[in-house]
Amino acid sequence: MSVIDYDAVVIGGGMSGLMAGIHLLEQGHTVAVVSRGDPAVCLSTGCIDVCGTGVDPMAGVDALPATHPYHLAGREKILAALDRFSEIMTDMRLPYAGNAGENRAIITPLGTTKLTCLVPRTMETSPRKPDEYIHVVSFKGLKDFYPSYITSARKNTGFSLYDAGVTTTMGIAARFEDRKFLSEFITWLKGLEIPDGKLAFPAVMGLEHPLSIMQEIQIELERWGFEIPTLPSSLPGIRLFKGLKRAFQAKGGDVYWGSPIASVERSAKNIEAVTIETKGRSTRVNGQAFILATGSFVSGGLFALRDEIQETVFNLPVAAPGPRDDWFNRDFFTPGHAIEGAGIRVGQDFRPLEGTLENLFVCGSIISGSEVMKYGCGHGLALATGLAAAESCAEALK
Amino acid sequence: MKFEHCIRCTICVENCPVFRVNPAFPGPKQSGPDAQRFRMDGEKSVDQWVQLCSQCKRCEIACPYGVDPAEIILKAQIKYAGEHMRSPANYLFANNYYLGTLGSLASPIANRIAATEFAKRTFNLMGISTYMPFPRFNLMSMNKGRRKLGKGVRKVVFFYGCFLNFNRPDVGRTIRELLVSLGLEVVLPHQVCCGLPALGNGDLELARRFATRNASILVEYINKGYDVIYGCTSCGLTLAHDYPGILNVQGGKKVAENSYNVSEYILKLIDEGAINPTFGPVDMRVAYHIPCHLRAIGIGYPAARIFAKIPGLAYDILDDHCCGLSGSYGFKRKNQATALAIGNQAAALIKESGAQVLASDCGACRMQLAHLSGLTALEPSEIITASLRKGASSA
Repeated sequence: MSVIDYDAVVIGGGMSGLMAGIHLLEQGHTVAVVSRGDPAVCLSTGCIDVCGTGVDPMAGVDALPATHPYHLAGREKILAALDRFSEIMTDMRLPYAGNAGENRAIITPLGTTKLTCLVPRTMETSPRKPDEYIHVVSFKGLKDFYPSYITSARKNTGFSLYDAGVTTTMGIAARFEDRKFLSEFITWLKGLEIPDGKLAFPAVMGLEHPLSIMQEIQIELERWGFEIPTLPSSLPGIRLFKGLKRAFQAKGGDVYWGSPIASVERSAKNIEAVTIETKGRSTRVNGQAFILATGSFVSGGLFALRDEIQETVFNLPVAAPGPRDDWFNRDFFTPGHAIEGAGIRVGQDFRPLEGTLENLFVCGSIISGSEVMKYGCGHGLALATGLAAAESCAEALK
Repeated sequence: MKFEHCIRCTICVENCPVFRVNPAFPGPKQSGPDAQRFRMDGEKSVDQWVQLCSQCKRCEIACPYGVDPAEIILKAQIKYAGEHMRSPANYLFANNYYLGTLGSLASPIANRIAATEFAKRTFNLMGISTYMPFPRFNLMSMNKGRRKLGKGVRKVVFFYGCFLNFNRPDVGRTIRELLVSLGLEVVLPHQVCCGLPALGNGDLELARRFATRNASILVEYINKGYDVIYGCTSCGLTLAHDYPGILNVQGGKKVAENSYNVSEYILKLIDEGAINPTFGPVDMRVAYHIPCHLRAIGIGYPAARIFAKIPGLAYDILDDHCCGLSGSYGFKRKNQATALAIGNQAAALIKESGAQVLASDCGACRMQLAHLSGLTALEPSEIITASLRKGASSA
């Protein structure tokens, strides 16, 4: 067995874990992020939903039930986390637009709108008025984006298709990183007769440099353009994840990727180490403190058995919403299935309430009562609780 | 079979470098777990496109559900190769070790011949690409010279691998000297190819023969208290993952448990208090390209942890792109365009980082990225050696 020591070990490489990791590094601690694989943020729209219940996100947060984990972080921490996030992404050259004062409605791939708070700058000019002309420019054979969903759902639209030579989201995005491809695309665009209005593109406009690619198109065409999120593979989600991961690594954080946690060593009050299944022999990662950021069911932090819900790393007690009969609504599409509220109950300091562990801090959607789908608060909650849990952890490490 | 755990989330597809640039490859999700549902023993393979997978293992690292598409595809590749005529390039690269042995012995002539137009045309006819100069063979291969160096309580076997052995013995010797300078006894027993090129070219039997031979030698040393240090991360992955896994050779588990990356081993010695080296300043900006197979071993990036101790050394970790060469994969003509397109993406980011040199733990990555970026490519041990020399002279 190999042994490696860190001040803090973060389990889970998603939004919340990386945010917590970055804060702890900035406080001068040595930090490792251990992740079983790429996080669910890669499948997301890349937009930061803070609270999607109304136009004012913070008023929405205030109105959430008293048991919602946002209240543990508090208004100030939420705003600080969003600011910090915006700074990080600007440093990583993937800047975000928007502020916590107001939600904006962006166009979805279905042609509907969704409320969100911060958006990648490539989506900044998504139209706010329903009758504004938008011209959808998509790509021949691209199966994960249907312009007709948008043109049929909205008035005043048109669309054109470009033959990129490849038909996948990742393939087209990679092509846009090639200057020659971009200039040919711009030349083709200039040849189209498009009514006055904005250009809408599926979010395939580059892997690493989407903003400069979009800016070049807008300058050359002399009109606004914006990206619309696609089905996974979702480039804005991937860019967001890679941006945060690179920020974490640039500050000196270590990543251990793709290895599940095989076992945990604990004493009465502390987690001493986690052992990861690395190739050949296992690796024991020691930590003074641990942060649990493994997410909810989709990300594998929680696992539902027939009559019981388990926390998959430390086997912490999970607060379940009653017996199985109460977990789901009769109608699948009615928002707010009770099971979404399942999770770990934590205190003001983000330590688990049940049990005696003192060096474990929990953040993200694994916290009980999160209900991120119902309230439209996934990434916002991840950032706010990630920062708050890390501050509490840093306090304990002093 | 683990393919049933796939929830079709497409995270593997997002991470596949081949899928990104080659429309003929349906990606790890479809070639792995999806197609696996239709594959049956005793039925001839029709999925020719599995050969387009470069076995970089990025899908495996990315998968949050432990499906391991790369391994499913590897098995399909071996099945396909067993049922169909293999190309001359497949045969040649599977037997890379013998090619290297010959090439190194005849290096003064072999290198000259390999550089001629005639040879290039012949290579092309055989399905071998020549976009990049063939790595030169070196007469003074690692297997020549002293078999045992240094003295110390800690004893290690250096598994240098074919590339360092035949093509860059200078780098191999740098690693060897580094280990000796840290007070280790270093033994270089007779060894053969790790078996990965044979495995990657569909020859499971040959791969198993190589592995059996190596395992019997290495286990003998391990039983005497030696640890194994590998000089290439792809050899390392093969020792650690395939010897006890798909190759299933006797002693494979023991080899896997006792094999270390060079930097990983140095850190282990430091952490255990066995050594306390002084790292002197190295004023340099390095783009540290993480080999896909180092990621796949799962031990993190040990060289980066040592870089962090070196004063003056600025480094960017670049782990989001594959170099595209993937051993012999990119040397096949049918993969040339793919390897170049992938490699150019990685090289563009390296140049963008403003680095003066690039570093990588894998010989193939260094060869490809040095060629495409125009920068000098170093083995991390070369940087560590420079730092320790400075440290020793100032002390």
